[in-house]
Amino acid sequence: MTLQPYPRTTVFDTVSELLAPLVGDLDVLGIRITPDTRFHDDLVLESIDLVTFSGILAEHFGPDVNLADYLTQKDLEEVIELRVGEIASYVAGRLARRG
Amino acid sequence: MTQEPVAIIGLGVVLPGASSVGQYWNNLVAGADAITDIPEHRRDPEFHGAPGTTPDRTHGRRGGFVADTVDFDPLAFGIPPADIAEMEPDQVTALAAAAAAIEDAGGPTALGDRSKVGVILGRGGYFSPGLVRFDQRVRTVRQVRRTIRELLPSASPAMLDRIRDALLEPLGEFQTESAIGLVPNLSASRVANRLDLGGPAYTVDAACASSLIAVDHAIAELARGRCDMVFAGGVHHCHDDTLWSMFTQIGALSQSQRISPLSRDADGLLIGEGTALLMLKRLADARRDGDRVYAVLRGSGISSDGKGGSLLSPSIAGQMLALRRAWDAAGLDPRQAGALGLLEAHGTATRAGDAAEIATMTEVFGPADGTAGVVGSVKSMIGHTMPAAGAAGLVKVALALYHKVLPPTLHCADPNPLLADTRFRVIGEAEPWPGSGTPRRAAVNAFGFGGVNAHVVVEEGDTASRRRIDVHEPGRILRLSAQTPAELALLLDRPQQTDVLGHGEARIGIVDPTPETLAIARRVAAKVAKDGKAQRGVKGIWCAVDPLLPSAKTAFLFPGLEADVSPRCADVARHFGLPTPAWSTETILDHAESVTAVGRLVHTALGRLGITPDALAGHSVGEWTAMRIAGMFTPAPTADNIQRYWSGRFTAPELDYLMLGCPVTEASELVTGLDVVISHDNAPHQTIACGPADAVLRLAETCREHGVIARTLPFRSGYHTPFLRPFLAPYAALANDLELRPPSVPVWSATSVAPYPTTLNAVRRLFLDHLLQRVRFRELVEAMHANGFRVFLQLGAGQLGSFVTDTLGDANHLAIGASSNVHAGLDQLRRVATALWVEGADPRFEALAPRQVRLNSARPLLALPANSRGLLDVTPEVPAGLSDDIAVAYRELIDETRRSAAAVVAAMASDTIESTVDVSVEMMPFLRDHRFFRQRPGWPDEADFWPVVPATTLIDIACRKVERAWGLPTTGVRDAAFNRWLIAEPAKSIPVTMRRAGDRVEVAIGSYASMTVCLGKRRPDARAFTPRRERPVPFTAAEVYSRRMMFHGPAFHGITRLNGLGDHHLRGEITVPPAPGALLDNVGQLLGCWLLATCQESLLAFPRSIAEVTWHAPEPEPGATVECQVEVTTPQPDVAQMDATLFRAGRPVATIVGWQDIRFSCDGDMHRAYAHPEVHSLSAVDASGRAVVRDRWRSVAAREFFAGLYLGAAERAAFAACPPREQRGWLLRRIAIKDAVRARLAANGVTGVYPAEIFVHEDETTVSGLHGRILPEFGVGATLDGDVAVGLIHPFPAATRSAT
Repeated sequence: MTLQPYPRTTVFDTVSELLAPLVGDLDVLGIRITPDTRFHDDLVLESIDLVTFSGILAEHFGPDVNLADYLTQKDLEEVIELRVGEIASYVAGRLARRG
Repeated sequence: MTQEPVAIIGLGVVLPGASSVGQYWNNLVAGADAITDIPEHRRDPEFHGAPGTTPDRTHGRRGGFVADTVDFDPLAFGIPPADIAEMEPDQVTALAAAAAAIEDAGGPTALGDRSKVGVILGRGGYFSPGLVRFDQRVRTVRQVRRTIRELLPSASPAMLDRIRDALLEPLGEFQTESAIGLVPNLSASRVANRLDLGGPAYTVDAACASSLIAVDHAIAELARGRCDMVFAGGVHHCHDDTLWSMFTQIGALSQSQRISPLSRDADGLLIGEGTALLMLKRLADARRDGDRVYAVLRGSGISSDGKGGSLLSPSIAGQMLALRRAWDAAGLDPRQAGALGLLEAHGTATRAGDAAEIATMTEVFGPADGTAGVVGSVKSMIGHTMPAAGAAGLVKVALALYHKVLPPTLHCADPNPLLADTRFRVIGEAEPWPGSGTPRRAAVNAFGFGGVNAHVVVEEGDTASRRRIDVHEPGRILRLSAQTPAELALLLDRPQQTDVLGHGEARIGIVDPTPETLAIARRVAAKVAKDGKAQRGVKGIWCAVDPLLPSAKTAFLFPGLEADVSPRCADVARHFGLPTPAWSTETILDHAESVTAVGRLVHTALGRLGITPDALAGHSVGEWTAMRIAGMFTPAPTADNIQRYWSGRFTAPELDYLMLGCPVTEASELVTGLDVVISHDNAPHQTIACGPADAVLRLAETCREHGVIARTLPFRSGYHTPFLRPFLAPYAALANDLELRPPSVPVWSATSVAPYPTTLNAVRRLFLDHLLQRVRFRELVEAMHANGFRVFLQLGAGQLGSFVTDTLGDANHLAIGASSNVHAGLDQLRRVATALWVEGADPRFEALAPRQVRLNSARPLLALPANSRGLLDVTPEVPAGLSDDIAVAYRELIDETRRSAAAVVAAMASDTIESTVDVSVEMMPFLRDHRFFRQRPGWPDEADFWPVVPATTLIDIACRKVERAWGLPTTGVRDAAFNRWLIAEPAKSIPVTMRRAGDRVEVAIGSYASMTVCLGKRRPDARAFTPRRERPVPFTAAEVYSRRMMFHGPAFHGITRLNGLGDHHLRGEITVPPAPGALLDNVGQLLGCWLLATCQESLLAFPRSIAEVTWHAPEPEPGATVECQVEVTTPQPDVAQMDATLFRAGRPVATIVGWQDIRFSCDGDMHRAYAHPEVHSLSAVDASGRAVVRDRWRSVAAREFFAGLYLGAAERAAFAACPPREQRGWLLRRIAIKDAVRARLAANGVTGVYPAEIFVHEDETTVSGLHGRILPEFGVGATLDGDVAVGLIHPFPAATRSAT
């Protein structure tokens, strides 16, 4: 059975929704997550939060959405500069691969 | 031969809009315009912006100005703070910029061998503030003394000395030491003196090219090897009037008050000020020492114009020479493709200057060829900083090369058309600077007066990290406390006048509040109030309603080695006067030493803030830092230990660490079967494993497959694993030799998850176990939490805080780092202090306040102290031969006269005079003839009569006061308005304000009346009477008063004949009565007579305003006869308006225009009741004695009027206190009751009772007689139905009350 590829925008929305609890109450803090939002600098999340988030992604989307795998290809500076859009693109790519 | 490349390794600036390099770069990228109006305290309105073209003034009003304060700690440089005010500003800024550059370059160790460090600064010989003030003391005072002597030869030497002393007094005591501080070259020498530098230190003057000449000197010193490092740059803090005047006179100062270099409508420059310093070092040495290199100076060239240009206008040939020399020295071809990406033009925005510079650009770099480098000038943002301009531009391009960003230029939307022929373009917004085949290069032009030209070619060095770092100036910390969370939210809504407000346990702290973060803070406070859960740190906001401290314990956690950590703490070291920790991750030992040094610095700093721990702990080698700080041992220098225990060669097993994003349980499973052990159990989401490289690689692969994030760490030590056992011997020997002492603060071990043991041997054993066993950090955090620790401070930058939070989860705790990669050290400490304060601690915020000094740029003109003014007012000599008491009296008389004369002159010169008028029936007895109401003869309460000051008397009062104040005759009045009746009882003192402008004086008599009184020449002409059709007046002048048609008494009886009546006019004769303002009052009475003769109702009328009164002759004296004609219109039903003319014996006396009366709706009955209240009632009384009264008045004023008629003093007070909506009914009922009582009295034969004689009690059931009126025991009552009240006498008598 082939699954329809997930359109990129709804993947981003889902990824943002999954990310929100890690950040705190977005409404109170007046934060809007956009594709350009940086994990570290804008959301003040640490590398250990990336670990938590990878677990959340795997839990929601399935084990083939393997953030660990994605991150091994990046050097330290790139990990620090990670943007939510990049993660969403990666997730969308994995999901498209299935179908 | 090409020049040796020179590296720029540190920067420091004090420029308009930027007190730090970080701020300068932010401004450059954002295109911030730092040009402002001249600050108030540096402006002289008689000079700046004064009209005219003489040299003693300038049209200039705007420029570039640095802040009045500079972050600088004089004590750190051994300068007594009191000396700063006497120093030239550029000496202070040079020191401050040098200190900032040193910190920027990594700390004092960057200076290297100080005997070979030089300071070369571009500085002009312009008239600087300190010299100006000194010149005033030395010369100007003498000049004034001589000029006064020439003007006033009779002045005695003693008097001249007094004047000289008075002029010197505001300048203050002269300090000999400060005189030396004015020597101009000290800007450079003082830096060398305070920093203990032994290289050449001096200033150079090549006008606007000075700082690039200084850089050229520095390059030469470095190339020769005479210096190893040089501070080079420029200073200019002057803004003297002579400089502004000179630029104005040569026409170089922009008329449009804008400096727009390279723009089509560039019209000249604006003057700036500033300091810019660069730390220069031979590039080879910088690379050897691992310095951060902003950019590399490749070539420098200098030239003169020779006789080519005039002294002021530039020579293209001369400029080209300097450019070519610079590019030759760099060994580069300026015409090559991609040779130059960014040119910082001299860009003074004068027509000649810009045109010449563009021609030079075309000649040297070639004509347009499709490539497009960027040209610009920072002068568009900060003005022309004169000798500092070159350095300001050089710092700009160095930053641009470092950040790989092309900065914009302002005000150049329409560039000079000549630019189209060049290989350059101007940009209005920052752009990324793309790389290409050739290295990125920039160049700086600086062309000075006198034809000296300089050019520098700069190439890229290192690249700035893309990590965002915070560079804003430290701002406020808002700290609000309240007793309850709800109150806390309220405090946030109030405008914050102070930064610390309130008391209580519910607290919120906001670092650097902006309107945006304040809005977030309000939501945060609301959320915390609702669910009680503290919010910690997001957007710089901390909020808690249930503080952790002081009941909870505080732990200091010291980090070990981590990847990607570079804590910013140079500013902390500088602020507290502590050594800056060196930071190196070169070898594992360097790294460990750096981490420890930072930990110790931060620990001391926290101590200065009053933040102390209940226990210490550490992660890996951080545990040793903790032990050391607790005083458990004092280590020997690392090098000594290596020598002693490792025979000079420190070795560690070749093992890798892999950081796994999973808990220790899962990690243990993943490592089964591999030669890898768990070395660190950091947190539920992080475990570290250790093993040989190939095993670790396989582990990493397994992790990837299982979706576990894994990353190798960049150091090898083998610590915390059994793998270290073969390497343990040196550690054991060291541990054995260690002199151990008990800790001053408990130290917890992450190996044993318990406080360190107390016996020496147990400690030594644990020391070694620590090296062989895993770090159980997660368990340590849990154990400390169970032990009551809630506040965890990490003393360094790194992940320990996130380990704590990951471990403790939602359990209430505070985890925060005292050092940060992002925020400057002091900034992070402010956050720590704020976070702890919110949790109930009391840190010493004042210890974090930046040390600042104030630059003394003031050059005020000499001014005498107040008590010395008028020293030359000559006192007349007392004639000789007088006896003492006569002499004394004579002097007193002279003094008194002089004082009075001075007061008069002051008043005449002044345009606003405040005075008062005392209004009372005693002071103005004629007011008894202007009582609105009649009362029983002999009635003792004057207030019940309503003695009102007539409107025309107010006019008279105003005119007489104006005449007395300015000694000039008044000729009329304009726009008189009468707002409220001025009742003279009780007596009042009313403020009178007179404000004169030319020959008009605006007068306000309290809130009662206002008008404009006219001064000047009288106009003798006036209109004559217009003859009209008329008929006889139905009553005589005498009847007007005898029948009480006007209420006025004799002092105001002026109408003596009524001659003719028309539909719109009345003609009569007035004999001027004695009361002030009575003549004009009688004109108003004529209006009243016209109303009485022509109208049936609304006969009560009172003046509201008069548009114009003009006197054509002096006001007629009492007894004079005046003919008067009034012409009346009724524009609205309740307004009567008239114009009037007055003649005396055929000659015009006065003209009145636009006199408006307000008419009260009042029919004949009401008018009769008003005129004879003792006979007539407002109510209609029926046969049974019931009084029925209807609300017939249409305005509040009318109602108040009839209230005045019927009510006595006490009742008027009660009426005023009655709620407005009930006033009407209250009044109607009272009127009805009084009229019913009076009707009954009349029936019983008692007549002529005035309403005010009857007092109706509050309950409206009884009445009393006042002031001798006896009443029978009436019971009364009243009902109100809509706007009709009915009053009656009850059949049953009530108890009599005694008359009041």
